[in-house]
Amino acid sequence: MSTATATIYSVDVPQPKQHGKPGGIMRRLNFFTGLAGGVILAAVFGFLMNIQFASGAQTADFASASAGPTFWAIMVGWVLGFMGGMGAFVGPIRWVMGRDLTHADAEFMAGKDQGKFRYWRFTTDHKVVGIQYLIMAMVILGFGGLLAMLIRTELGVTWAEVFNPDFYNSLVGTHGIAMIIAMIIVVSGPVGNFIIPLMCGARDMAFPRLNALSIWLLVCAVPPLILSLLVGGIRDGWSVYQPLNSQAGPGMIGYQTTIIVFAVSTAIASVNIMTTILTMRAKGMTWSRTPISIYGVFAAAAMGLYAFPFYQYSQILSMTDRLINTSFFDPVEGGSVWLYENLFWLLGHPEVYVILIPSTAIILELIPVFMRKPLFSYYMAIAGIVGVVGLSGLVWAHHMYMTGWAPQANYPFMLSTEMISIPVGFLVLVIIGTMWRGTFWSRLPMMAVFAVVFNKMIGGVTGIYLSDVPADQYFHGSMFVTAHFHYMLMGVALFGAMGGVAYYFPKWTGRYLDERMGSIGFWLAFIGFQITFGSMFVAGLQGQPRRVLQFDNLFNISNWISTIGAYTIGIAMLIFLGAIISSWRHGEMAPSNPWQAQTLDWQTATPVPLDNFPVLPVVKGLPYDYGVPDPLAPEKVEARLREEYEKAGTP
Amino acid sequence: MADTMTPTPGSGEQPEEPTNRPPALHRLRDWLQRRYVRHVLIITVVIGFILLPLCWLIVAAMNQTGAPASVVMEDIEQTVFVFTLVSIPITAFVFAVLVYSLFGWKGKSGDTPPNEDNPAIRNNLVAVITWSVVTSALAAFLVVWGLMELASITNNSFGTQPANGQVKQEDVLVVNVTGQQWVWTFEYPQYDKYQSDVLYLAKDRPVLFNVTSKDVVHNFWAVELGVKIDANPGAVTQTGVTPNKEGIFNVRCAELCGLHHAYMETQIRVMEPDTFNSWMRENGGGKTS
Amino acid sequence: MSSPVLSPTTGEPVSVVGRRNRIGLIFLIVVDFSGTMALIVSYCYLWSLNVNNGWAPNTPSLNSNNDVKGRSPLPWADDWPFWAILGLTVLATVILWLGIRSLRSGNRGGLVAASFVALLVTLVTIAMQWWQMATFPFGVENGAYASAVFLLTGSNMFNLLISAFILFGIVNRSREGLIATDNPWQARLAGYWMVWICAAILLGALCTTFLKESSNPTPENFGNFSLFNPDKPTPTPSPSPSASPSASPSPSAS
Repeated sequence: MSTATATIYSVDVPQPKQHGKPGGIMRRLNFFTGLAGGVILAAVFGFLMNIQFASGAQTADFASASAGPTFWAIMVGWVLGFMGGMGAFVGPIRWVMGRDLTHADAEFMAGKDQGKFRYWRFTTDHKVVGIQYLIMAMVILGFGGLLAMLIRTELGVTWAEVFNPDFYNSLVGTHGIAMIIAMIIVVSGPVGNFIIPLMCGARDMAFPRLNALSIWLLVCAVPPLILSLLVGGIRDGWSVYQPLNSQAGPGMIGYQTTIIVFAVSTAIASVNIMTTILTMRAKGMTWSRTPISIYGVFAAAAMGLYAFPFYQYSQILSMTDRLINTSFFDPVEGGSVWLYENLFWLLGHPEVYVILIPSTAIILELIPVFMRKPLFSYYMAIAGIVGVVGLSGLVWAHHMYMTGWAPQANYPFMLSTEMISIPVGFLVLVIIGTMWRGTFWSRLPMMAVFAVVFNKMIGGVTGIYLSDVPADQYFHGSMFVTAHFHYMLMGVALFGAMGGVAYYFPKWTGRYLDERMGSIGFWLAFIGFQITFGSMFVAGLQGQPRRVLQFDNLFNISNWISTIGAYTIGIAMLIFLGAIISSWRHGEMAPSNPWQAQTLDWQTATPVPLDNFPVLPVVKGLPYDYGVPDPLAPEKVEARLREEYEKAGTP
Repeated sequence: MADTMTPTPGSGEQPEEPTNRPPALHRLRDWLQRRYVRHVLIITVVIGFILLPLCWLIVAAMNQTGAPASVVMEDIEQTVFVFTLVSIPITAFVFAVLVYSLFGWKGKSGDTPPNEDNPAIRNNLVAVITWSVVTSALAAFLVVWGLMELASITNNSFGTQPANGQVKQEDVLVVNVTGQQWVWTFEYPQYDKYQSDVLYLAKDRPVLFNVTSKDVVHNFWAVELGVKIDANPGAVTQTGVTPNKEGIFNVRCAELCGLHHAYMETQIRVMEPDTFNSWMRENGGGKTS
Repeated sequence: MSSPVLSPTTGEPVSVVGRRNRIGLIFLIVVDFSGTMALIVSYCYLWSLNVNNGWAPNTPSLNSNNDVKGRSPLPWADDWPFWAILGLTVLATVILWLGIRSLRSGNRGGLVAASFVALLVTLVTIAMQWWQMATFPFGVENGAYASAVFLLTGSNMFNLLISAFILFGIVNRSREGLIATDNPWQARLAGYWMVWICAAILLGALCTTFLKESSNPTPENFGNFSLFNPDKPTPTPSPSPSASPSASPSPSAS
């Protein structure tokens, strides 16, 4: 039907003067100029700062006093150079100069007529950004997964130290933050960007240039994290508590840079998603006719919006503590470790819901399609999502039960934390209610639902133990906590995201995800997952602390079993990745609505044309009207009988 | 079945409320007659019984090294046991729905949706209310139990003691715990400030721990006694316990503190009060307070 | 009734675009509000804890005769720059809004002039903030109070720089006629931003003026089990864990 380069709807409005070719300087800027700019500016800034602090920087002694400022200068140079080279500053400069985008400019920036190269540019088309997020999520997941394999190798080799303890601690910390970043973007990125505007019936997101900015900020944030591993690493877990934080080498500055830049990226993306959903839904799409995944993605964006700045500031303050000797967290000079912990966990907790809610929302979205039944109790699902968002900001100090910061505070936080299990339970009710009495279509997206619900129950119940202060007095800081959050963040969120990938693959790529290979990878990963983290629960119950590379012989068996399970996951994920890659390249072609879904995103053609819809759609009802109308539903019976009566009564 | 839905010809009003609706209990019984309902409930019970041993297994896993060695730990284990027990019904029910969906209602593969005649259940007030009430009651139970438990444990742990004031009871043993990279040091201010890297305690004698750190955040975890508190630099945190079992137990560090965090462990030796007193006399000073 | 003005870029009515941007700006302000609360929380929490009695600056440069006085936060007399900066920012905001108001008459010139004056005022404010930070009697390394004051003033500086950039844009754009007189939504958004900046500066000024001496006069001594005794002479802070040779830079590197 329409080609990928169909024109954007034409605009018959007087245009401002076109300076040069459409797109202007953006024609010349792309990922490669960004990379060059970043590397060059990093080298220049590092060199200049090195002149300032010359002593010791030439040696390989990364712990020397001057390595910090030099590395910081390198980070600043990288960020400014990369974003400048991508063309991120062009927008504000054009605004100040009064050179607004013409329609031709906007079309160019949306990637019109650029083929595959538009993925390497500062492209504003939300579909391009969605795919870019998907690729980044997979890359970061792969990186984090590799580190996980190394971690489990160390823990499996119980008779020796495979890595030196500092490097092991860095592996643990880097694995953690990489996975956190990957999980935050794995659904909100591809689905939030590609699908949500389609589902709203819009032509693009609210702020297309901010959309491009958010993905390239993410790309900018990743190299400092990888680089940090080479420069001393982050040896303090992903939460990098102070004051241990200040003892680490300059690699910590890489972590701080990653977080500061990532927080900006997330803030911008949240603003974009929330504004799109608030203002650009199709005509007729009232809040009671909005698909549930829109609620979910909105909720996640809202939580990220208010919570990320705390995390960002915890890292900014750590950076100043390190570089200019401020005393926010240095107890000798009046700083407080509890301040760090509070700032960190004020984000740290909403963040897990930022990860969980989109995956759960995708599951809620696809269940009606594969059960061919309406979503059970749509309003309960909304209540669940709203309840989680509302309570998410009130529970953070359950991560600090054992810190002694405010023992009296443990009571209210225990109350709010237990309360949050209720809205989460609503979501489970909606899922099993939709499955009730339904013969399902057993494709991979549907099968993923079983895995997700199973893991959610285990993760949820073990969360109940941890929310209880007395029980947490045993479990805090043990492998039990690690197993619990892996059940939620990986068992529910990642497997849910994999189901979402299988669901949306035909819309993103025009092809089906290979059912057989994908299912093998998925279920092998599921089995490996149960082995790994089930055994990890046992290790935690026995009393193994977290983040230790050597331990008493008591824990050997559970660690061996976990390691075997982890290798299984590794192999399985490679199979799933193989399924994605091979399907993308030469999988079976899919029609534009292979699942016969009713939401607006599936009513577009595949590949989706540049302006999404030839005519903006109008919505008349909730898109969950699957199945034969229930013959016993009163309103239907009444309507039918009334119709018959009127027909009969007409003379 | 009586047809209650036919509108009266010529009236054009809403039909009246059905007057022959069976009482609730009859409707419940009718619902329970449905085959899938009975099957799901049976599977729930079966899964529930399969999960039941978990209550004991979980506690057994916690007891592998000699726990419980104090009332606090016994309370913790009881809490874990009860929480597991009350979580089983809902968990078993959800699993039963999953199982029955797979084997009862079943799935069909294919290139197109297999059927379009699943009942279009949009809502079911009874189900929603039942679920909400049950989960809320469960959460309320957990909260109340937890709050009472917390109050009781706090009471047993001197949680509200002022930092450097008089201890409330006469026979309390005060131990100042210092964590530093990467050893634990225990100081006995009542015994002429005797210092040791092994924690010596007397059976049935309450202990008050004052905990701090000399450098980074550690976490003092007396595993089998059920005691855990962060060791923060710049602050003194407090906890306490009364060991009620003799033996050798473990102190582990439960907060990543750097290079040798994994090795920051030491022993607890709980001994008879007389043995303890003589040990203190031989190694430290005599009792000074 | 005239047809709605359409945006050249997307063809949508300008009022729709303006409303969308307004919501976006409100969300961005929410983000900045969270960030500002992080700063305020940091200041207030450290003030309340007074860890190791290290809240107040520990340099005797305030008054070298009296050691105790040397550990005091800024005296009341030195608070005026905080409020002057607030006052100037409010002034710039009011001028900008007056300029936006003047567009009702259909004349662009009022906005051009007003935003230009607002920009100048903002630049003066930036200079004043710089002067204040450069002339504090303590350095950034002199304890938690000093760090927190620098944090608040540094954040003010950052916000003011962004405001200057935005005002510069408004000046230029209104000069070029890109701001419609009937729906000056971009200028209005700049106005909302300025209002928020005033609120942020106000929050900081309240903290620095009214939360000086810590509320906790007897904190624990670092590393041991005694309480700080206000009657004893000020203890010299022991070497910080971050000053050990295997870790981060010491201030003497500069």
